[in-house]
Amino acid sequence: MTLASTADQSMANAKPRRGRQALRVSIGMILLLPALGFLLVFLVIPSLSLLSASVLTQSGSGDIGLPVTFANYDRLLFSSAYQKVVLRTMSISVWTSLISIVLAYPLAMVIAYGRPSLSRLTMVLVVAPLVVSVIVRCYGWQLLLGNNRAGVLNWLIALVFRNRATIKLMYTEWAVIIASVHVFLPLIVLPIATSLARINPSLVEAARMLGAPPWRAFLRVTLPLSVPGLTAGVTIVFALTASSFVTPQMLGGTNASMLGILLEQQAMTVFDWPMTGAIASVMVAIALCSNAASTWIIGLLTRRGQLGGRK
Amino acid sequence: MTSARLSGGGGFVTYTAAMAILLFIVAPLAVIVALSVSELNFATFPPKGFTLAWYAKVLSDAAFRHSFVVSILIALGATTISLCLGLPAAYALDRWKVPSAGVIRTLLLSPMILPILITGLALLKLFSQTRMRDASINLLIGHILVTLPYVVRTITVSLELVDRTLEEAALTLGASPVRAFVRVTVPQLVPGIAAGCLFAFMISFDDYPISMWLGDAEYVPLPVYLHDSLTRLFDPSIAATSSLMILTGILAVVGLEKIVGLRRAMGV
Repeated sequence: MTLASTADQSMANAKPRRGRQALRVSIGMILLLPALGFLLVFLVIPSLSLLSASVLTQSGSGDIGLPVTFANYDRLLFSSAYQKVVLRTMSISVWTSLISIVLAYPLAMVIAYGRPSLSRLTMVLVVAPLVVSVIVRCYGWQLLLGNNRAGVLNWLIALVFRNRATIKLMYTEWAVIIASVHVFLPLIVLPIATSLARINPSLVEAARMLGAPPWRAFLRVTLPLSVPGLTAGVTIVFALTASSFVTPQMLGGTNASMLGILLEQQAMTVFDWPMTGAIASVMVAIALCSNAASTWIIGLLTRRGQLGGRK
Repeated sequence: MTSARLSGGGGFVTYTAAMAILLFIVAPLAVIVALSVSELNFATFPPKGFTLAWYAKVLSDAAFRHSFVVSILIALGATTISLCLGLPAAYALDRWKVPSAGVIRTLLLSPMILPILITGLALLKLFSQTRMRDASINLLIGHILVTLPYVVRTITVSLELVDRTLEEAALTLGASPVRAFVRVTVPQLVPGIAAGCLFAFMISFDDYPISMWLGDAEYVPLPVYLHDSLTRLFDPSIAATSSLMILTGILAVVGLEKIVGLRRAMGV
């Protein structure tokens, strides 16, 4: 199947082609072996073991084994206490994704099209938080959103409006959404900026010359052509928000608990491994489904040839 | 031409919106740095006065210094081993005709797609079942899983950017394949790989979701130390610890910019 691509190299010695092909494959496999072995032992097998516990039964002494049961999934998805957490996780992830899209475009536009100095500044400020621990960033949001006068936001409100009213954002779903947007925003700005930078500028110029106002040129030309980057970015933001632990733990408290919090409680406090496995399976399913959906959408657009100007 | 693409009224609106959003990005970090030099005994806003006493307190704290060293060593070890595993793998996928390369590449990048929280918990379960009690090794293995996909991805991109004609020229001029690889291919790869390793180092240095499962009383990585301090300390020393971590991040960004430029390092 790969003969065509190696044909130019093996033209001079056409006869031992088959033998060389086999040699290339085996050398390639030897080079891959350490990494694949490591992933098999420390990722694939442990993950399958954790996820498979979800359909097994835990005895009183803590052993996990037969019979096979789907009771844990039933409890997780249909009992009201657990279902609430699943639905809240989805709604926080959807809101975080939507807000991230709106905030990402101006930044990506400046990175892709802005004056060099501003583009550089934006790039630095977008990437810098990415290499600061999520614990530090959530601590910053705790300080900003604090419910009493000591919170920066409430201090500002008191300063500007001179009244005694305070807004209580801390330990609500919105605190989690705000911090999640902050934590994951760089991961959607960068792919959108990549897509924008690849758009053929003459397409936008043509729209402008034919009389389209800037906002219309953006909506009808720039936005549709940046959909691959948008799809990739939204997938990452949605999947990572749905599986986050630190943001709901530090900003959500007991009012805005998410699947990650539930997972930690079941594993470390309740020691219920089948339930832990069920929660983990739902989280993995969310991650895999959103990735599959985004691969499918990008593939569809590529086949339709909508990605003009792409290399 | 580039400047013409963001001009007039539309450009003004875009710039204004972008600056407001950048303020949103910087605000939580700026508040931390502002409080880290406050003379008050509680980390409350507004800060008062200017003092470096909290930094002195943090830097003289033995637990902080131990955590810092632990985090640096784990990040160095994980990045190095990821490079040793990832370089041959990425090279094999790019140059040697391996069957089902697409599936293998997906597997190599899969730790990035799977929730890290679950990767860590699965490891914890494995280690407790196999009675692996050495937290330093367990942490190292966990951090390799987190850093490996970043290293593989960077090396793959760097390999795609290599000018193949130079390699062919070396072969035509009589260099052996090994010599051509070492003298012609590797020098073209080095900046990209260095940037990838620096980024992977920071991913490990900042990690919490893996470390929270695998650390123990003796091996407490810095983010775990910080998280634990939040529940028992309320003075600005926490802001000082956080500021030191922000400083590390800024140094890393400067490093990425110097090595290959930030846009190339991030693939934009």
